[in-house]
Amino acid sequence: MKSVTVCCDRCPAANTTDTSHFARRRLLKAAVFQPQPGAQNRGDQPIEHKAERVGQVLAVSQSIGESDPANRPVYRAVSGKITDISPHFVTIGDVAGERRIALTAGATAWRGEPLEPSALTIGDDAVIRIIPSQSGITGIADRIWANIGRVCGTIIEADGKRLLVAECAMRQPQLVEISPLASVRIKVKVPNLRPGYLIDIIGVRHQDVLYGIVVTSPQPPYRSDRLPPQRLSGGRIPDSITGSAVWHEPAHEPYGVLGVFYPAVDPATGCFEDAAAKIGPGQAKAFRELPYLAIGSALTVRNECTNIAWTLPVTGCSPTARLFNDHCVTCKTSPRGRIADLTLASFVALGGELEQGCFNATLTIGR
Amino acid sequence: MLNLLREVQIPLLAALLLGACASKFVRVMRSKSMAAGLGPTALFPLKLRKPAAIAMCATEFGCGIALIVTAGPFASGTPANLVRLATGLLFLVATAALIELRSVRPDIGCGCFGEFSTTPVTWRTIARSALLAVAALVTMPLRPLSPDKLSDSAVTLLLLLAAELVVFALLSPEIRDIMVRIGYSAPCELRVVSPDNTFATLQRSAQWRKHSDLIASREPSDVWRELCWRYVAFPSRVAGKDAELVFAIRLDHQRKPSVLSALVDTATGAVLPWPATTAKHARARVRVARRAKLAYRPGAISQAERSLPGSRRSR
Repeated sequence: MKSVTVCCDRCPAANTTDTSHFARRRLLKAAVFQPQPGAQNRGDQPIEHKAERVGQVLAVSQSIGESDPANRPVYRAVSGKITDISPHFVTIGDVAGERRIALTAGATAWRGEPLEPSALTIGDDAVIRIIPSQSGITGIADRIWANIGRVCGTIIEADGKRLLVAECAMRQPQLVEISPLASVRIKVKVPNLRPGYLIDIIGVRHQDVLYGIVVTSPQPPYRSDRLPPQRLSGGRIPDSITGSAVWHEPAHEPYGVLGVFYPAVDPATGCFEDAAAKIGPGQAKAFRELPYLAIGSALTVRNECTNIAWTLPVTGCSPTARLFNDHCVTCKTSPRGRIADLTLASFVALGGELEQGCFNATLTIGR
Repeated sequence: MLNLLREVQIPLLAALLLGACASKFVRVMRSKSMAAGLGPTALFPLKLRKPAAIAMCATEFGCGIALIVTAGPFASGTPANLVRLATGLLFLVATAALIELRSVRPDIGCGCFGEFSTTPVTWRTIARSALLAVAALVTMPLRPLSPDKLSDSAVTLLLLLAAELVVFALLSPEIRDIMVRIGYSAPCELRVVSPDNTFATLQRSAQWRKHSDLIASREPSDVWRELCWRYVAFPSRVAGKDAELVFAIRLDHQRKPSVLSALVDTATGAVLPWPATTAKHARARVRVARRAKLAYRPGAISQAERSLPGSRRSR
C-alpha cells in the first residue's frame, strides 16, 4: 500500500503544492462520520446541505481557525526586510511589495535586547506583530522582532564559543556562536555544550550564523540518542494534552503559513527525517507519548498565558521537539515535554512572544 | 430455575446502573465539563446536552437505588413493579438511542461507563442494552427477595450470576478499555499499525465487500491516520462523475474492528448516495469473498472479483 511520506519542518521540498491535498482529508473524514444519505435518500442527487457542511470543514482547515466567539484578539504577523523606519512607521519589503505599517505609541522592538523601534536599521529582517483591528483601523503594529533566529537540535561539533547544531537531516547544520555578553547565562542553562546534547537557543541571525543570546529552558540532561521514555499515566490518552509549545524558523515554509508541526505524526507515513535517519516505524524516540495524527489533522491550540485558542492544521512533523523534556515557564510551569512546534505566524497569532521561545499550551485534538 | 434467574437480575441491574452513574460522575469531575464524552447526549442540541446528561445520570442513580429498596418486602408489589418497568423502559430508550447514535455519530463511544466507553458503538453495545431491558422487564412478576430463600440456592444463584456476568463481559467493549487503563495494553492512539495490516482488515470487512466494486484504481489516492482511525481513499467513478470512496478503519486489536465508508463527489465534496447494486451481484460478491478466504490475503479479493459478472473494475 502506498502512503505519503511527509516532510519534516525544515524539509526543502515543503511547499503549498505538496500539502494542498491534505486539506481534503478533513472533508473525507467528515463525510465518513456523518449520517449516510443512502438510507434516507435513494435518489441520485447529492444532498446539498451536507456538501455545504463539508465545505465549511474544508474552509476551516485552510484558514487559521474556526470562529472567534469571545472576540479574542487576533494577532497577525508580517515579515520582511525593513526599508524605512521612524518612531511612528515602519516600512517593509516583502513578497507582496512594499508595505507601510503604523506603530502604536507603546510599540517595542527586539534585536537581541529590547529597544525602541526607531533604533532598528534599514536592512534588518523584521517580524512585525499587527494588533487586532480597532474601530476598523487595520495594520497597526505593536511589536517588532529584528533578525530573530532560533536553532534547536543536537550539537554535533563544539569549539569553544562556536557550535554546529544538526536540526534535522533535511537541512544543513546550523552554526551558532554564543554571544560573549550572554555566555555565563547560557552556560547556566546549557551546561553540556558537547556533541550529542540538545540545545535550543534564540538569538540574532547574521547571514548563516546565529549569535545565541537567550536559552528558553534548561538543557535536557541526557544525550539526544539516550532519552528516557516517559510512561503514560493510566495508560489512557487524556482529552486535552498540556505541555510546551514552541516556534521554529520558517526556512522553506510558505510565507505566513498557519499551522503546527506535531511531534507524533503517524509513523507508518512518517517524516523524511525518520527515513533519512533510518528509523523504522514506531522506533523513533520521544520524551512524551502523544497520539498519532496525520498532516491535515485539526488541533485546537490554546495559549494558557494569553487564553487565545485557535484550531490549526498539522502541517509538518517535528522530529526535534519530541526529544526535549523541558518545562515552559512563560506564565506558569507547564508539564514536561513539547507538544507543538508552531509556525512563526501561528505562534504570534496565539499571542506568543518570540524571544520567550515558548508558551504553556493545551492541545485538544478534533476527535 | 427461571425464578432464580429473575432473582439474579435485580442486584445485577442495580450494580450496573449505579456503576454507570458513578463512572459518568467521575468523568465529569475529572474533565470539569458536563459535555465530556457522555455518548448519546451528542444527539441533543448543544444547549440541551448538559440537562440531558444530568437527567441520564440522575435516572440511573434513581433506578439503581429504587431497585435495591424495592427488592425486599418493603415497597414490594406495585412500587417494585413500577421501578422495574421504569428500568426496562430506560434500557429500551437507551437501545434506541444507541442505534441512532451509531448512525449519526459512528465515531464516538456510548459513554455508558464514562471514560471506559470510548469505543464506537457496535451491535454488541446495542445487544447489551437490549438484553438489560429484557432482564429488567422479566423481573416484574418477581416476589420480594428474602435472604432465607436466597441462601437455600446460593450456589445456583452464584453460578447464574457468573454466567450472566460472562455474557455481559463479552458484550462489553469497556473490558478492553479497562485493560488499557490498568496498563496491560497500549491505547490504540499510540499503537503502531502498519498500513498493510489495515488494508487486510479492510479487505475482510463487510463494507469492502459491499462497496469495493466502485473502486476505479487499486492504488489508494490517500492513506492517513488520526488517533484510532486510519483512512483509505480510493478513486472511484459513479454515474459518470469522478468520486472518492473513503474507508475509515478502527485500529483496534479486535477481530472485527469497525469499518465505515462514504462516497464523496470529487468536484463538489458532496456525499453521494450509494448506487443501487443488484442483490444477485451482492450475494455473488459475498460468496466470492468467502471462497477466496480474504481474511489474511491482501489482494485476493481483486483476483477473485475479476471473475464476477458485471464487475466495474477498470483493470
